[in-house]
Amino acid sequence: MTTFPGTDRHDRRGGVLAEADRLTVGVRGGTGPTILDDVALSVRAGEFVAVVGPSGCGKSTLLRAMAGLLPPSLVASGGARIDVATGGGRRDVAWMPQRDGLLPWRRAWSNALLGARIAGRDVAASEVRAAELFERFGLAGAERRWPHELSGGMRRRLALLRTVLADRRLLLLDEPFSGLDALTRRRMNSWLSDLDLVGTSTRGSAVVLVTHDVDEAVLLADRVLVMSGPPGRVVDSVATRKGGDGQARRRLLELLGV
Amino acid sequence: MDALAYGVTRRVLLPVTSVLALLLVWEAAVRALDLAPFVLPAPSRVAQAAVRTADVLPAHVATTLAEAVLGLLLGAVAGTLLALGVVLRPRVGDALEPLVLLTQTVPTVVLAPLLILWAGFGLLPKVLLVALTVFFPVFVSATSAMRSADTDLLDVVAGLGGHARDQLVIVRLPGAVTGAVAGLRVAATYTVGAAVVAEYLAGQSGLGVFIQRSRKAYAVDQILVGVIAVALLTALLVGAVGLIERAATPWRPRAASTPASSRHLTSEIP
Ligand SMILES: Nc1ncnc2c1ncn2[C@@H]1O[C@H](COP(=O)(O)OP(=O)(O)OP(=O)(O)O)[C@@H](O)[C@H]1O
Ligand SMILES: [Mg+2]
Repeated sequence: MTTFPGTDRHDRRGGVLAEADRLTVGVRGGTGPTILDDVALSVRAGEFVAVVGPSGCGKSTLLRAMAGLLPPSLVASGGARIDVATGGGRRDVAWMPQRDGLLPWRRAWSNALLGARIAGRDVAASEVRAAELFERFGLAGAERRWPHELSGGMRRRLALLRTVLADRRLLLLDEPFSGLDALTRRRMNSWLSDLDLVGTSTRGSAVVLVTHDVDEAVLLADRVLVMSGPPGRVVDSVATRKGGDGQARRRLLELLGV
Repeated sequence: MDALAYGVTRRVLLPVTSVLALLLVWEAAVRALDLAPFVLPAPSRVAQAAVRTADVLPAHVATTLAEAVLGLLLGAVAGTLLALGVVLRPRVGDALEPLVLLTQTVPTVVLAPLLILWAGFGLLPKVLLVALTVFFPVFVSATSAMRSADTDLLDVVAGLGGHARDQLVIVRLPGAVTGAVAGLRVAATYTVGAAVVAEYLAGQSGLGVFIQRSRKAYAVDQILVGVIAVALLTALLVGAVGLIERAATPWRPRAASTPASSRHLTSEIP
């Protein structure tokens, strides 16, 4: 088994929250290409892991496999092992899709509480926390708006807020800020790095963030997994110092061949 | 201000002008060609007929309106409930699907004689006929709205730890409401017509009865009064359904929520 060592200095509680081994995913029925090829990874509590790689290399598929959301057309091979922390009989995971996935018929407030409601969290406590997060996410005053009345950046922040509010230990974020203009994106990133997502849960959580933006990865993550493909393989794991690391950035660009 | 003036021009002034122009041409043509009133009466004669029948007409209108509204409600409720059943119990759905498709190939007004035979001459057969007419579009669009629920949204619910039941309540059921209301909007245009056709065959009251009696008396002007009443009632119902649709889907951006046709209808109803 080839897992990549975590950076222990960020390892607040120690526990492994997700571990995949020999994860091979292909199209059901054996036709078509292999999408993930023998991927191994492990994510520990307290870690912020970024996954970078070229478009189509299988990043979203990897995240979906961890969330238990492989589409019916895809299937993991027999030898694949993927263990994810569970709580209350469900995966202790909150997944944020590449598109924001807000329910158009619910107001911002109700959309935000969706995760907490599904997880069966105490409503009053969640609402207190939601009010606090609306403030922190810069969404205060937008509680009663419909999703279509929010800007692209606000929609992404709302989707992220919903994911955080589910209070799961493992957050799986699929390009939370893709499709935003460079300026907004940069603002989102510096804001996200101040937010300390890993510290938001009371129970020791971890974040896996998919992106194809190396700067975003270096800025936010403790560790960056580099993928190549298709077929998707993890080719390296680069530790970074939080808040910008020129050396790690150069290494990543080199690995990605840019 | 300019926008408002533009809106008034487009929504009120232009339609009113074109209707007036049509009436004028009609009146002029009837007088110029000296057409007999039992072939084509002039609009002025139709207006006189409307005044003449003003005391009996409201009762007929009330009957037809009651049939249409009751049938609309009955059909909408039945269509939505069966759609829920079919989606909740896929096996029931598989079993019913061909039956529903088969019955869809029969235009419902064709069933009017049967319904009258079974349910008598009163309100009931007409309400049932309207309900059947409404039932299919509501059922079909509610079912397909639930089935074709956005997979992204279903995945979001699952990705937050939700089970199939959560997906149903959070994503599919709201889809059913939007689908049902969309079907209702299609159905609303047929309701008054269905009631009137049933009244042609049998009954003591209703616009269909009024038109039929006028025909027997060769009172073409009265027939036209009846036809206009049917058109106005239909517009009224379509407008009401438009309002229901807006109330049921407050989250939709305004511009996209009502198609141009029904918006015009609602804005023309005083
Ligand atoms: N349901 C599916 N059926 C068949 N092939 C699929 C399916 N989903 C994804 N693929 C294929 O798997 C590969 C990886 O897709 P994936 O969406 O995981 O890439 P990605 O790394 O997230 O790309 P991007 O950065 O553009 O989002 C692609 O080549 C895609 O065509
Ligand atoms: Mg992707």
